[in-house]
Amino acid sequence: MASQQDGDDTLDELLKDGARIEELPDEDEDNNSATEMNGPPFPGKHLQPKRKHDVPPWMNSATLGLFHEDSQTPSTEALAKTAAECLPFLTLEDTQGLPLNSHGLPHLRRKPHADFLRGCLGDLPAPYAAMDASRPWLFYWCIAGQSFLDEDVSEYKDRLIETVRPLQNPGGGFGGGHGQYSHCACTYATVLALTAVDGLEVVDRKAMWHWLGTVKQADGGFRMAIGAEEDIRGAYCAMTVITLLNLPLELPPDSPARKAGLQSFTDSLGNWIGRCQSYEGGIAGAPNNEVHGAYAFCALACLSILDAPHVSIPAFLDVALLTRWLASMQTTPEGGFAGRPNKLVDACYSHWVGACFTLIEAALPTPADKYTTAKEGMWNKAALVRYLLTCGQQPGKKGGMRDKPSTRPDGYHTCYSLSGLSAAQHHHHYDTQGSTRDDGGSGRLLAAFNWRAERGTAEEMKALNVDEEDVVELVHPVFVLRFEAVEAARKRFEGGGL
Amino acid sequence: MGKYADDPAWSDLTPLPTDEGGSHPLAQIAYSADYEETMSYLRALMAANEFSPRALDLTEDLIDMNPAHYTVWLYRAQCLFALNSDLHEELEWLNETALAHQKNYQIWHHRNLVVDKLGECGGETEFVARMFEKDAKNYHVWSYRQWLVKRFDLWEAGELEFTERMLGEDVRNNSAWNHRWFVVNGRAGAAGVGDPEVRAREVGFAEEAIGKVAQNQSPWNYLRGIMRRCGKPLAELKGIAEQYASLDRPDAVRSSFALDLLADILAEEEDGKEQAGRALDLLASRYDPIRKNYWAYRKDQLGLGELKQAVADVA
Repeated sequence: MASQQDGDDTLDELLKDGARIEELPDEDEDNNSATEMNGPPFPGKHLQPKRKHDVPPWMNSATLGLFHEDSQTPSTEALAKTAAECLPFLTLEDTQGLPLNSHGLPHLRRKPHADFLRGCLGDLPAPYAAMDASRPWLFYWCIAGQSFLDEDVSEYKDRLIETVRPLQNPGGGFGGGHGQYSHCACTYATVLALTAVDGLEVVDRKAMWHWLGTVKQADGGFRMAIGAEEDIRGAYCAMTVITLLNLPLELPPDSPARKAGLQSFTDSLGNWIGRCQSYEGGIAGAPNNEVHGAYAFCALACLSILDAPHVSIPAFLDVALLTRWLASMQTTPEGGFAGRPNKLVDACYSHWVGACFTLIEAALPTPADKYTTAKEGMWNKAALVRYLLTCGQQPGKKGGMRDKPSTRPDGYHTCYSLSGLSAAQHHHHYDTQGSTRDDGGSGRLLAAFNWRAERGTAEEMKALNVDEEDVVELVHPVFVLRFEAVEAARKRFEGGGL
Repeated sequence: MGKYADDPAWSDLTPLPTDEGGSHPLAQIAYSADYEETMSYLRALMAANEFSPRALDLTEDLIDMNPAHYTVWLYRAQCLFALNSDLHEELEWLNETALAHQKNYQIWHHRNLVVDKLGECGGETEFVARMFEKDAKNYHVWSYRQWLVKRFDLWEAGELEFTERMLGEDVRNNSAWNHRWFVVNGRAGAAGVGDPEVRAREVGFAEEAIGKVAQNQSPWNYLRGIMRRCGKPLAELKGIAEQYASLDRPDAVRSSFALDLLADILAEEEDGKEQAGRALDLLASRYDPIRKNYWAYRKDQLGLGELKQAVADVA
């Protein structure tokens, strides 16, 4: 069955295998308990007619029944099963005993989610060896995720620095664990986690620059590690690290890409990303492969590092085509996003696809820019918020957020659900007056630092059916960290050099 | 004490235990004794740059315990090539491992390295097809197949028929649609759908698929892709769009994708903008309300102002 596996082809597969480790069943699962005082008890369908709720138009039965197909396929079965699984939660027929907000939706369970993330950073039992090559992701998801909930994460600084020291290789970059090869995804996750706690002093920047030079390819893209696959994650991860650490853009003298005539990390990169846009309009992991939501984010974020989004995105991608594709990924009736056409909703795409709109809206010609701020933007934020609050939250004491109701929560889905929630709740503006390169000084690419964010208004929160306590913090649209953390990294390495 | 520590064949090597970096590391994994020991010997091997049969055995051991360990895979590939190992034997072992770990992804890059070195691909497409029996949309398996086709020039070795078979099983399998696009258009220098005969065949194929299931994004994307690649106007698709979504019969729309396409076609027509607006109104209020804001944006871009309730049309 293809069902429930959609998340398994996102940012780093190996992780995901690990992230889905079967945990022991909860002893204290009290999801259907009627003892929680904050919400009406769940009566059971057989006892009384369904409670009447204000069901949004995309979920009304007329809409759902519009297209009857004679030909059932494996995809249709999986899609129908997921819709059936989500509907009782979406319609609020079953609120899982979660405390409800003033609009009748479950509150965002801030404390249980923060506790869950904190727990994922604690001691892990032996089966977690499956995540031995991807522990840096746990650091990032769980620390950044807590920061999105406005938890103080500075307490992790010393321990994180100690923990990642053996993961750094003398030749530069970070591996998944002690003695493992340096890898773009592990390096990205480690650098982001360190940025979140303002602990970047542990990074050997000069060695990092050399190592990144070894994964830059003659065709403009990046391999994930020496001898590993070349895909668009490599491009986004590498450019993120280069920019946050303000490494020189020129390739190290020993970089193999120099033999092909390349001189800079950015050479041929935009073109390579452009080759990943397929006939469908979405973005593939590498040229000729299938479109995928996570890769769309990697492409847009990487281009937004290279230059101002309204310059770099239209220069290499067909924006109208990509916009159509992104919009098409929001699923009916669930309201969350799928990663590929005809696949299933998964909360992680709240970030991978949801956060794309922030970047692409900044890439639109000026009238549209006015359009997005004046009105509701181009996507259905209320539907995403509803999916995340009703279907994405693990009930019971445990907390954490999950792909869909039939799956277990993990750090990956919790982090990216919270980031998606932030994209739905707040506004981001790209300051087109900001300079895009520190030309007089270090030469650093500055476009990604020109973003400003403001919190959604009370009126907008009302339209999204959320209360104040359901609102998460502002998340940087390119680096997926708190703005304060990004600003500290910008300042720390302002002078450049090695 | 342990498999390696007790084995005289390994006595020359001093294992390198895990450096946890401090007394209280974050997300510390309580490794099993076997895993910790094997990893310690791997570190020692790698530190000595040893590419040997025993190193190969150890990587197999470790992959069994943790197939997601990219370093072990990369190291194993180096060993195989340094030792000139029998790559057919490696493929047989990989087959078992791939079937046992369906979701593992490192294995596909490794297979790619091995088959590339081997320089021949007998049995590969058959094995890949077996993988699809369990998950017909496995992203990395499809990417591997695309690599195979390109590397071994399999453009006309039954790939088109293969996509037809996969789509026969599930006409919504977008991965199979993408593969078909690649097989038709991906060959360097190929005209692909630029060739009128090929274009007619592919348009016909997509239209037939739509005939089976109209509310299916994949073939509609495919049709749009064909027109775009050939530089043809979308107007060439007006017939099929109207077959499934006509403004004359707003009650009988059979595909929101057809209606979306119709909106684009009408917007390009002289005096068609108002009608395009009606199509977008219908999408927003009736056939695809979750994307209401997107349809509103499209309407705004046409200079048509805000959405209107299309209910009046329907009644």
